This record gives sequence, structure tokens and C-alpha cells, in this order.
Amino acid sequence: MEKTDVTNQPLLVSASPHIRDTESIPRIMWSVVACLAPASLWGLVVFGWYAGLVMLVAVVTAVLTEGVVQKLRKVEVTLLDGSATVTGLLLALVLPPNVPLYVAAVGAVVAIAIAKHAFGGLGYNIWNPALVGRAFVQLAYADAVSLSKWPILKASRYFWGNITDAVTKATEVAGGSVPEAASLTADAISQPSPLGIQSLKALYRAPDAPLHTAYSMKSVLFGLVPGSIGEVSALLLLIGGIYLVARRYIKWQVPLIYIGTVAVLTFVLPVKKMGFSSSGFFAGHPLFQIFSGGLFLGAFFMATDMVTTPLTVRGNVVFALGCGILTALIRLYGGYPEGVCYSILLMNTTTPLIDRFTRPRVFGARKRE
Amino acid sequence: MRNRFRGGIHPAPTKERTENLPIEELPPPDKVQVPLSQHMGAPAKAVVKRGDLVKKGQLIGEPTAFVSSSIHAPIAGKVTRLLEVPHAATGAPTQAVEIERQDGDEWAEGLNQERNVAGLSPDDVRQVILEAGIVGMGGATFPTHVKLSPPPDKPVKTVIINGVECEPYLTADHRLMLEHPDDILAGLRIIMRVLGAEQGYIGIEANKPDAYELLREKTAGDDDISVVLLPVRYPQGGEKQLIEALLDREVPSGGLPMDVGVVVQNVGTAAAIYQAVRFNRPLIDRVVTVTGPGVEKPGNFRVRIGTSIKVLLEHAEVHSDIARVILGGPMMGIAQASDETPVSKGTSGVLALIDRRTFASRPCIRCGRCVDTCVAGIVPSELSILGEEEKIDEAEAAGLMDCIECGCCAYVCPSQRPIVHLIKFLKSEVMKKRLTEQGKK
Repeated sequence: MEKTDVTNQPLLVSASPHIRDTESIPRIMWSVVACLAPASLWGLVVFGWYAGLVMLVAVVTAVLTEGVVQKLRKVEVTLLDGSATVTGLLLALVLPPNVPLYVAAVGAVVAIAIAKHAFGGLGYNIWNPALVGRAFVQLAYADAVSLSKWPILKASRYFWGNITDAVTKATEVAGGSVPEAASLTADAISQPSPLGIQSLKALYRAPDAPLHTAYSMKSVLFGLVPGSIGEVSALLLLIGGIYLVARRYIKWQVPLIYIGTVAVLTFVLPVKKMGFSSSGFFAGHPLFQIFSGGLFLGAFFMATDMVTTPLTVRGNVVFALGCGILTALIRLYGGYPEGVCYSILLMNTTTPLIDRFTRPRVFGARKRE
Repeated sequence: MRNRFRGGIHPAPTKERTENLPIEELPPPDKVQVPLSQHMGAPAKAVVKRGDLVKKGQLIGEPTAFVSSSIHAPIAGKVTRLLEVPHAATGAPTQAVEIERQDGDEWAEGLNQERNVAGLSPDDVRQVILEAGIVGMGGATFPTHVKLSPPPDKPVKTVIINGVECEPYLTADHRLMLEHPDDILAGLRIIMRVLGAEQGYIGIEANKPDAYELLREKTAGDDDISVVLLPVRYPQGGEKQLIEALLDREVPSGGLPMDVGVVVQNVGTAAAIYQAVRFNRPLIDRVVTVTGPGVEKPGNFRVRIGTSIKVLLEHAEVHSDIARVILGGPMMGIAQASDETPVSKGTSGVLALIDRRTFASRPCIRCGRCVDTCVAGIVPSELSILGEEEKIDEAEAAGLMDCIECGCCAYVCPSQRPIVHLIKFLKSEVMKKRLTEQGKK
């Protein structure tokens, strides 16, 4: 191509539009990582350096797996776009803090190689890769992932304590009584998670059961309770989530409707699970419910994943409603204490169907008054 | 009044360099290359040959169908040859008449003479407009006499003059409104009379408050003309969006504004109509905004049709290391490979851009931003994927032909997918298919 008379090199012939907004995939992905940082750092504090190792292993494995798979698929290698990093980090954040490192690694491989790339890579997967990885290790390594007692460091041992040191003492902890009963030599204490059965008894009373004192509203809000690495501090997750809404990376309707639906349903409906039932309707404790467990993490960071959720706002409203209903039902009546992971995966399955029924109205297709 | 439309974006307007520069009339160039197809519809046929001497405004190309237009000599001189030049929109070679200037700049006989407008009937006016070669100057270049000939079962009671100019960088229409408001208003009145319309509107975007005030002042006593200030949003200047915002009516999918009783014309077209009807001057020049970070001396220039954009770029002192030359605005304009392309009736701007980035298209991450901004209510991401997979029929069923190619979708796409490009490809395949089917019948 020749130079033109007025320029000293050939002109670029681009397709319109010739100006673009500044958004890009890396910008979005790394923003999500930044929004997860507060909750991740908190996990590092209350669960210690080992949790950091879990996060590191998950992220590095995810990124390396993506590199290997992309080479095998002979497609462009995109390690730095942040997408594998987000998947690895989210996976770590939904695992217990004392999970064996190889479990985190296997989860990351499944998430990237199978849940993402076997479907075609970024943009083509149907299910949330991090949640698929988590669901897989929950089944394959049930003892390591589905704990009945979850560890948390004692305050004096924050960050420096070794979280893996708590498990042997777990059987000595009786449900219903508090940290003092835990071993004095271990760094950590293990207790039922806030949604564990022992706490539910306290939650849905039954006349004379006081709310478990270790799980005050303040502690579930700020994150002084046991749980998975990233789920405990509702407040820090909320801060990250608000930033994502402000940047318009996520649709605010999703966390609002998801969390709101869980709040309403857990307030209204009686719980009936594992031999325990509550006193009846309108006896729930919705605030406690929504701050506990993985709801904030799921509602802000997983149910808002662009690839696996519907395209339109209306579609996302339906999606969030479905997630809320399923999460509430699993929490109230299902076999697991927590329902966020499976609710989202189930709703991911319905996304193409939701999209078909929530197409935008074509301009001029129907007479408007 | 709804005052807004669904979807849209807010690109930086970048009009500061030229919005206060008065229109500068450039002297006639030494040479023009006048394309015979500067309009939608059938190209004109040359009625001159090499060696002919022509005067300014003389007919050099005659219309070949109802939907076609006339072409006139923009300068006085000698026809040197018939040649092929790059088409402004497609880049493909298109027939043109080259004229080299000789001394003098005289109008051909009979032209440039005032006449009594009131004495012309609507059909007379339509004939004048056809013979003057007037086409839509907002960029679509649809033959105006056709637009002003709606069938009897589609009465047009409302005329809208489009002074929105929503594309970034462009300020030609803004200056026209400030410097020739009477021509525009007179043109509007002619259009209303031809159509038998009762109400006229002039839509102006809020970033042109001076034009709005001026036109409002001039129509203060007129009950049947309203000047309306619209919020700044791209693409407010799209005719369907303008009708939606001003009248709260939706042009039916696959239909035209006349289906809802409206005709929309650009301010430049309105002024050109007045010039043709009142003074018998055919369309031989237009105002072009030459700007962009790649020129030293931007401006709004009145140039003769057929002037090479090279002349304009040199006049604006273009930098030699620019990356792109766009004819039109940055959202919908066409990037040029050559600087030999001539200015045509639809050329509203010449932009010299310096951004050298090319956009590697990544897969669709289904973020939905394109759906949120789409003014046509279709799903651009879906169409882009169907385009990649060359699924023509599915795309047509998914609302492909409703796309107005405004570019909002591609502008916001984080994967930087060439959505409009893929849509244009699909549309051309659909047109090809329709032509073959018509041919079979």
C-alpha cells in the first residue's frame, strides 16, 4: 500500500466507529480483583498466612492451567487479562482456610480447563468456573471441604497463627458453648459456622435459646466468625461490591434482589432441617441470615459474572430472584447449611432460557401509544 | 414531548476547536472530480464528454431513475476525462467527471436568477429540487424530491429539521444555523408547503445554545414552527431517534418516517432547497468541518463538490504522521485509504485522527453493555456472533435490518469487537440474497 501525498505512511482503514470507550476485559477483571482485595486481606488476617498460600496456589494454578490449555488449543495466550486470576481467587475465597493445598490446585484445574476452556474459553462457558471447581472438590474431597466445624484464629494469633493446627482439637469443642472451651495451645478454634446447625438452633428459637454469643450481629457483619476464606466479612465485601456497581461493572439489581429475596424468605418461612424445626412463620432472623455464609460473596461477585448470567437487566432480575429462592430453600430445608454455590450453578443453567424470554423490544415493532 | 430516546452514549464532543470558527469559503479549486453517484439510488449518467467546456452549475449527469439525482459542474472549465475515483463510502472505484478550471467562475445561463417562489406549485418545486440535484446532506444522501413525494395514503403533517449534529467533532451544521438561519427557515417553509404539513420543528442539541436562541428568536411569532432544545446524547440526530424524542412516535420496524406522518431533513438540505427554489442554484458546494488532532488549522469550509480531500487537508495544515482520515463523523464515518477521494454531497466532515491503536477483537463476554446502549432494541452481541459464523438467515430473523449502524454497541464493547463491521457484512449478504431472489422471479 502506497503512502498518500499528505502523509508519510499508509493510512489505517478501520471500521466505524473510529473512537472507543476505554473499557476493556483486563480493566474489568483487574477491577474485580481489586474489589475482592479487602475481603481477601481480611481472610489473611483472621485465618492467617496459610489462607494466603491457598489463594496463591489457586491463582497460580489457574493462570498456569490457562496458559497450558491455550497452548494446547493453539489459541492466543492471555495470561495477563486477569480472567484466570479472578477465577483462581474466587475459588480460593469459597474454600475453607485450612484446605489442603492440592485440593485448591485441583479445583483450579477443573475450573479453568473444564468449566471454562472445554466450553470454548472466555465468553463461552455456561457455568461459573470458580463455582464448578468448588463443587467438584466438595464432592471429590468431601472431608476437606464440607466441614462441620470451621476454624478461625484466635485474636492474639491473627495472621501469624497456623490455621491448620485447629482441626485436631475440633472434637473437643461442644456446640453451644464458646471459644473458651477450645484448646489453649492451638492457634485457632473451630466452631460450627454461623449457618451450622448449632447456630440455627439459636437463631430460630425455640423459647429459651439465646443467640450464640460468639455470633453477634457485629461479628457476622465485620467477619469475626469462621467460614470460607473470603466470605466472612460482609462489610468488606459490600464495599468492594459498591465500587463495582459504581463503575457499572455489575448490575445493582442483582445483589439487591438476590440478598433481598433471601432476607424475605428466611424471615417468613419456618426452617425444617435435620430434625430441627423452628417455631413457625415470620420467626426468622433475616439480617443474621444475609450476613452469614457466602451470600454477599455470591451475590456481588458470582451471581454478577457477565458470561454466565443473562444479557439484559430484566433477565438478570429473574436470575437474581431464582438464586434468592434457591439459596433460601437450600438453607431452610436442604441438606447443606449453605446454598449459594449450587443456587448460582443451577441458575447459570437457565441463563440461555432466560435470555430467550427477556429479549429487548425492537424499536418500532409494536405500536406505542 | 418525550425529549429523549432509548439507549445511546455520551462520547466526548470534541467540538471546541471549530464550533466558534465562521464558515470560510474556499476559492474554487483547480480541478474537481465529481462522482456520478453521490446519492442513494441509481447513479447519474454523464451528459458531457472529454473536451466539453462547462459553466458553473451546468448539468453534467442526468438522473436515470425516479430514485436518482442530477449532478452539476461545481466549477467552470473543461471536462478533461471520465475516470474512476474511490467511492467515499465503499472505497470501491466509482465513475466521476473530471473538470479542470478555466478562468472565471460564472454560472451557466439561466441559473442564479431570483424567481417567485409563491408561484410554484408543489410539483413544480419537486421538479426544481430534482433538477438541482438536491439530496440529504446529513450524510445519507437520499434524493430529496423522492422524500418529498410521499404516496397519497401517507399524509405528512409534520416536518422536522435536523439541527442536532450529534457526532463528535462536526460543527458544519452548527455554523450554518448561526450564519444562515433565514435560509434554513425559508427552506423549512418550502418543505412544509410542498407536503401540506401543518407543523414544523427544528431539533437542536443542547451543546449549541447560541443556535437555539437565534432560531427561537426568529420563529418567536410563528405558531406552526417550534425550535426545540434536546439533551446531548449520541445518536440524537438519527431521524428515528429525533422523531421519538420530539413527537414520542416510533417509526415502524422496516418502515419510514412518513409511516408516522413525518419527514425529516437536515439543516443543510433545507438551506440548499431554498437556494435552488428561490435562486435557481443547483447543489454544487457544501460546508465541511475539517478537524481532528492531526490538523494544525481546523475550520468549517464551504467547498465545491469534487474537491479532493487532499486540498482540504493541506489547507488545514495536516500533520504528516496522522493515522487515519475519516469522511464524516468518528462514529459512523468511513476511513479512507487514499487522499484522492473527492468531497461529495454527503461529506459533512474530514477528520484527521492520530490514534494508531488497532482493536484486536476478543470473544463476547456477554456483559450486555451493547444491549443497554442499542437504540434499535436488538441484541448487537448476538448479531456479532452470527456475523462471525456467517449465519445470514438467523441474523435477519434476529432483527439485523433494524440496525441503524450508529456504532454505540462497538463503542462500549470491552472486547472491542467490530460489531458494526460484522453487521454491515451480514446486511450486504442479505441484500445479495434478496437481489438473487428478485432476479429469479
